[in-house]
Amino acid sequence: MRALNRFLSRIRNFATRSQNEERLREELEQHVALQTEENVRLGMSAGEGRRQALIKLGAVETVRERYSEEKSLPILECLQQDFHFALRQLRKAPGFTAVAVLTLALGIGANTAVFSVVYSALLQPLPYRDASRLMVLNETTPKVGVVSVSYPNFLDWRTQSHTFSEIAALQEVSFNLSGITEPESVSGLAVSPNFLAMMGFRPVIGRDFESAEEQTGTAPVTILSYSLWQRRFACDPAVLGRTIVLDGHDFTVVGILPSDFLAPANTDLLIPIGVWITNHSEAAHQRGARGDMPVIGRLAPGITSKQAKAEMEGIAARLAKEYPIANDDFGVALQPIRDAFVGETRPALLVLFGAVIFVLLIACANVANLFLVHGTGRTKEMALRIALGASNSRIFAQMLTESLVLSLFGGLLGVGVAFAAVRGIGKLIPASLLRGGIVALNIPVLVFVAAIVLLAAFVFGITPALHSSRTDVQSELKEGARTSSAGTDHSRIRSALAIAQAALALVLLVGAGLMMKSLYRLLQVDPGFQPNQVLAMTISLRRDQYSKDAAVRNFWAQVLQRVRELPGVENAAVSTNTPMTDNHDRTDVTIEGVAQPRPGHYPHPDLHIVSPSYLQTLGIALLHGRSFTEADKEDAPPVAMINDRVAKQLFPNQDPVGKRFMFGHASTDQPKWLTIVGVVADTKLYGLANLSRLEVYVPVRQEPSGQMDLVVKSRVDPAAMTSAVRSAVYSVDKDQSIASVATMKQLVNNSLATRRMTLVLLGLFSALALMLGAIGIYGVISYAVAQRTREIGIRMALGASRAGVFRMVMGQGMKLAATGMGIGILAALGLTRMMSSLLYQVSSGDFEIFTVVAVLLLLVAVAASYIPARRATSVEPIVALRYE
Amino acid sequence: MKEKTEVQQGTLALMVLKTLNVLGPLHGYGIAKRIEQISGDLLSVNQGTLYPVLLKLEQEGSIASAWGSSENNRRARFYRLTRSGHKQLRNETENWELTTSIIARFFAVRREDLA
Repeated sequence: MRALNRFLSRIRNFATRSQNEERLREELEQHVALQTEENVRLGMSAGEGRRQALIKLGAVETVRERYSEEKSLPILECLQQDFHFALRQLRKAPGFTAVAVLTLALGIGANTAVFSVVYSALLQPLPYRDASRLMVLNETTPKVGVVSVSYPNFLDWRTQSHTFSEIAALQEVSFNLSGITEPESVSGLAVSPNFLAMMGFRPVIGRDFESAEEQTGTAPVTILSYSLWQRRFACDPAVLGRTIVLDGHDFTVVGILPSDFLAPANTDLLIPIGVWITNHSEAAHQRGARGDMPVIGRLAPGITSKQAKAEMEGIAARLAKEYPIANDDFGVALQPIRDAFVGETRPALLVLFGAVIFVLLIACANVANLFLVHGTGRTKEMALRIALGASNSRIFAQMLTESLVLSLFGGLLGVGVAFAAVRGIGKLIPASLLRGGIVALNIPVLVFVAAIVLLAAFVFGITPALHSSRTDVQSELKEGARTSSAGTDHSRIRSALAIAQAALALVLLVGAGLMMKSLYRLLQVDPGFQPNQVLAMTISLRRDQYSKDAAVRNFWAQVLQRVRELPGVENAAVSTNTPMTDNHDRTDVTIEGVAQPRPGHYPHPDLHIVSPSYLQTLGIALLHGRSFTEADKEDAPPVAMINDRVAKQLFPNQDPVGKRFMFGHASTDQPKWLTIVGVVADTKLYGLANLSRLEVYVPVRQEPSGQMDLVVKSRVDPAAMTSAVRSAVYSVDKDQSIASVATMKQLVNNSLATRRMTLVLLGLFSALALMLGAIGIYGVISYAVAQRTREIGIRMALGASRAGVFRMVMGQGMKLAATGMGIGILAALGLTRMMSSLLYQVSSGDFEIFTVVAVLLLLVAVAASYIPARRATSVEPIVALRYE
Repeated sequence: MKEKTEVQQGTLALMVLKTLNVLGPLHGYGIAKRIEQISGDLLSVNQGTLYPVLLKLEQEGSIASAWGSSENNRRARFYRLTRSGHKQLRNETENWELTTSIIARFFAVRREDLA
C-alpha cells in the first residue's frame, strides 16, 4: 500500500512535471540558517558558523540528485530523453531516415493489408451465438464427393443423434417475387423452425417460425431479410401481416431479419421447411433426393467434433444398411461453419501471410544494415559517451529507442500504405470469401500493426544496439584510428544480413514462380467449350404461369427466337447445368443390357437439358454421331447425347451410338429408354482445375425444365448485349425475372480467382523482396569497397591489375548471393510443399522454376555488385594512400 | 556499499517517525538535531540526506508537511505524522523489537547450552 502510494505520487509528479526544486532549496537554506545561529550561540564567528553548518549538511548536489530521483521516475525520464534525442538524431540524417522509414512502411503496410484480409476471413468471429460449436453437415459418396442431405435422412439424423444439441435443415429455394412493382428473382432458405434461434438471431420485428410450421400443409408465411425489407418496402413496419406473391403463391410476412444476420448463402427471405415440403412433396420424401440442403448442427456441451463425426458415421452406416438403394456408400461430412465460408481460400491466405512476413524480415534486415552503416559513423560518439560514464545498458536502451522511433514512423506510414492496398486487394479477393466479413482496418488489425512495429524495432534494432553498447572505448578514442577492431565482426554481421535477404527473396520468388506456372498451366487447360463472346443468365419460370410442359416449351422457344433476332447475336441456347455456374444436377442412370450394379453404385452423371443449338453456341465439339435437332420433339423417340468420358467408361471398346439407357433404376415398371445419338467432348463443369465428369445431354423439348440458363453468343462484347437480351425476354413475358447475369469469360475467371489473387500478391511481394535484397547486397559491397579503399590502393600500388580488383569485389558479392541462394533453395524445398494444394500440375520442387529463379537472383546480385566493383577499379593508388 | 546505505536509510526513516511521534510536528533541522542528539554519529555529518528520506516518507503517506513559521520567524516546512504513519511506526517498532530480541538471544547462546 505504501509502495503503491509512493509510486502513484511519482507518476503524478512525472506527469505534471512538478518542479519543487524551490521547496528543497528553501528547506536547506533554512536548515543552514538555524545551524549557523546555533553555532554562533556556541561561540563561533558568523562566517565560521556558516562554514561549519555547510560542512555538516554535506554534499548538496548529491542530496538534490537523490531528492529528484525520489520525486519522479528516472526510467521514464530517461526514455523521454532518449526519445527526444532519437528524434534529433534522425532529423540530422534525413537520407538514412527516409530510406529506413520507407522500407519499413512497405514491409509493415504489406503485412497490415494481408493481415486485414486474414483477419476478416479466418479470425474474425462469425456473428453467430457460440459460432465455434456450429458444424455444417453434408453427405459424402465416393462417386461425387460431398453432396447435400436428403430430407428423410436429416429427420433420421435428428432423432438418432445425441452429439448435437440442435440440428436444422436449410433448403435453398428461389422464387419469382411479383405483385409489388417489377418482378424480381429472390433466393431464400426453407429452414427448420429452430434455425434462427440456433444461430442466435431473432427477428427485429414480428415473430420467429414455430415448431408446428415444420409439418406438411402449414400456412405459407415468410420472414424477409432486412435488405429486402429496405429495398422493396422502405422499412415500413406495416408490412407485417401483408401478403407477397412468390411464384404465384401468397405468403404472409410474419417477421423481418436483423440487418446483421449473415446467411450461409445469399438470402432474401426465409420460409418454414413445412411450406417447402408441401410444395415439393416428392423431393422431400425421397430418400435418394439430395438437392441443395445442407444441415447445420450445434455440438452438445462437452462433445468434440470428432465424437460427433464418429456418431454420425455410425448413423449413416445404419441408414445405408436399412435403405441400400438410396444410401449405400454414403457417409457424413462435418466441417466447422467457418470453413463453409472460407473453403479453399485458407491455404492461399496462409501462404500469402507467410510471404508477407518474409517481406517484413527482408525489410528489417535492410534497415538493420542501414543502421549498422549509420552506426559506424557514430562509434566515436558512443565511445565518448561510455568514457563519460554512460553504462552499456544506457547506450543499448538509447539505440533501441532510436529503432523504435524509426519503426513507429514506418508503422504510421505503413498504415497509410495498407489503407490504399486494402482497396486494391479487395478487388482481387474472390467475392465469396468476403461473405464472412469486410476487409477493413479495424481495432484488431491496428493492434496487430502495433505488435509488428514493436517486433520490427526489436528485430532490426537489436544487432546495431548490441554492437554500439560494446564499443571499445580505448581504440575508438585514439586519434586517427580509422578501422575499428570491431570492423571484421561488423562486416560479418552485415554479410549475414545480406545472405539472409538473398535466401528469403529466393523463397518468395520460387513461390511466385510456382504459382505463375500453375496459372499458366490452368489457362492452357481446354475447358471443352468456348467461353469467349458468350453471355449467360438464369431464368426461373413461375410455377403457376408455367405449370404445363407445353407452356414451358413454348416460352423457351419464343425466347430463343426473339434473342436470335437481335442484331449482333450469333447464336443462342438454353441449358441446365451450364459449366462454371453453381447450378448442378446429377442423376443415376441404368444402361440397357448391362448387369445391374449393386444398389448405390449406379453411374451418376451430370445431366444437361439443352436446346439443339447448345453445342454450337458454347462451341462444344461433337465427336461422333449427331447433335439434337428440332425434330427431337416431345412426340419423337427419346434421344440423348453423352460425353467422351461416358463413352470410354461405360461403353468401352464399342460404339455407344444407338445404345440405350434410362434415368433412375431399372426396377421401374415402365422404363423410358433414351437412345444415344451422339458423343461430345468433355467440359470442365466445376472449374478448370477439376477433373471432367460423366455427362449426359437430353433435348429440352423432351425434358422441359422451368429453370434454365440462357446462353447467348454474340459478335460484339457480350456484356453490352445484356439489356437487349433482357428486353427480348420481357417481350415474351413482362413479369419474368432474370438472375445471375455474367459472361462465360467472367465465370471461368472467377473459378481462378483465388489462384490469381495469390499469384498477383506473391508476385508483388517477391518483386519487393528482390528489390530490397538487391539494395542489401549493393549496400554491403559498396560499403566494403569504401572501407577497403586504402587496401585496394596498396594492392594496386604493388601491381594488382584493375581486372583483378574487379574480380575480387565481384567475387565477394557473388559469394554472398551464392550462400544466400543455397540456404534459400533448401528452405524453399521445405516451405513450398505447404502450397501444394494451390499448385496445378506443377511439383512444389519444380526444377525449371528453381533454376530460373536462381539465375534471376544471380543476375540481380551481379548488377548490385557491378557498381561498387567498378568504383573499386577506379581507385587511384596515390589518392587512396594519401587518404589517411 | 549499497546495502549499508539502505540499512541506514531504513533506520533513518524509523528514527524520523519516532522523533515526530515523541515531539510532534517539527521542521527538517529540528528532526536532524534530535536524531543527532540521540544517535550521536549517525547524523552528525551529511544531514542533507535527511531530506530525500522525508520526501520518500511523505510520498508513501506516512508523514505530511506544510509551511509554517520557525522559532527565528522564518518560513519553514513542518512535518507531522499521519495516521498511516502512526500505524507504520507501531508495526516497525514491533518488528524491530522482535528482531533485536531474537538476535540478542542468539548472541547469548553458549556452546554448552546447545549440547
